[in-house]
Amino acid sequence: MSSSSNINLKELFLNGIIKENTIFKLALSLCPSIAVTNNLKNGIFMGAAVLFVQVMVNITISLMRNIIEPKVRLPIFMLVISGWVTVTQLMMAAFAPDVYAKVGLYIALIVAFASILARAEMFASKNTFVPSMVDGVGMGIGFLFALTVISFFRELVGKGTLTVPTGMATQHVFTLINTKPVLLMVLPAGGFLAVGILMALFNWINAWYAAKVAR
Amino acid sequence: MTGKDIFKITLNLVIVYLIGGFILAFVYANASPRVFRNNEEAEKKALKELMPDAETNEKRDWTIHDKHAKYFIMKKGGDTIGYVIQSFGKGYSSYINTFIATDKDFKVQKINILGHGETPGLGDEIELDYFKDRLKGKDIDHLKVLKTETTEYVEAISGATISSRAVTEDAVKNGVSFLIKTVKEGGNADVKQQQH
Repeated sequence: MSSSSNINLKELFLNGIIKENTIFKLALSLCPSIAVTNNLKNGIFMGAAVLFVQVMVNITISLMRNIIEPKVRLPIFMLVISGWVTVTQLMMAAFAPDVYAKVGLYIALIVAFASILARAEMFASKNTFVPSMVDGVGMGIGFLFALTVISFFRELVGKGTLTVPTGMATQHVFTLINTKPVLLMVLPAGGFLAVGILMALFNWINAWYAAKVAR
Repeated sequence: MTGKDIFKITLNLVIVYLIGGFILAFVYANASPRVFRNNEEAEKKALKELMPDAETNEKRDWTIHDKHAKYFIMKKGGDTIGYVIQSFGKGYSSYINTFIATDKDFKVQKINILGHGETPGLGDEIELDYFKDRLKGKDIDHLKVLKTETTEYVEAISGATISSRAVTEDAVKNGVSFLIKTVKEGGNADVKQQQH
């Protein structure tokens, strides 16, 4: 077990956003990054829901790590994940029905996300409370960032609009340049294209930055 | 692996799952009555929004897709001014819970989607006003989804034809045809008079 004193929390936080960005670097959880990123609102809500569940699961696993039998850790991780998802869903439906009406659809999907299980396995099960929480926040924000960028790009190109979380959409920007949007980008096939292009761009910027720092 | 190990691991898993189960049961027991009440309130609000003029309503039951649904005869000062019917449509990945308001000639006035599990970003656009408005003023013969641009019929949401059909040709059409059949075949004498 590594103790919290020799872990740089700031680095750990940035790790999830840049160096080990769930989608752009680890290429995990690509299903949500394609399925729910066809408008900006969906991307942001999904990202926020994942951020919350990731932090809660990391905290729970780090607290439970000494009582889990290593041989059955995966079923226990799954229980913690699906448990948190169900609890969040029920509490939201009961106490915040307005919010639930908007994000309820996304929360149920989180059970199947590889990124959450991966962090529980790779990090939270080997670390103490504080680093696990910071790791969860970093990873969650990295995920939120990736989904926001992808959905921004897809909706803008595919529909020419941007839907903000309140449900309002901007005017069709394509009317200005007198052309039609590329509908393909909001359809599932466009998701693959968008994720590929943005992943390449993210890695290119990273490499460029690393080279600049090295010089 | 010895027998003792197997026992230890099994016990560990059983205990953790039992605790998890108890926590979930506890949360569910506390949350579900509130969820039920929230749904009732949402229904009341939906009725008010669908037909703001109505003062009272008569509530009845019917079934669609083996699901229990309700319909309401909306009245103002003793006269029937229209109907609101709850209906379900079989969509891409869920049953779409729809409330439909019709005038007394069974033309759709307004619809409201109360619950569904369609794909976020594609099918969930059935909730948006631009799609719901496409059903406004349609009678039973014009409740048909076309993939081309149309105002006479209902234009499908691009990328979500199945969800558009489920609302229009399943939920709304079945609801309206049930109303016509029931009311015309004399579900209610008061209503019958208004028809002729």
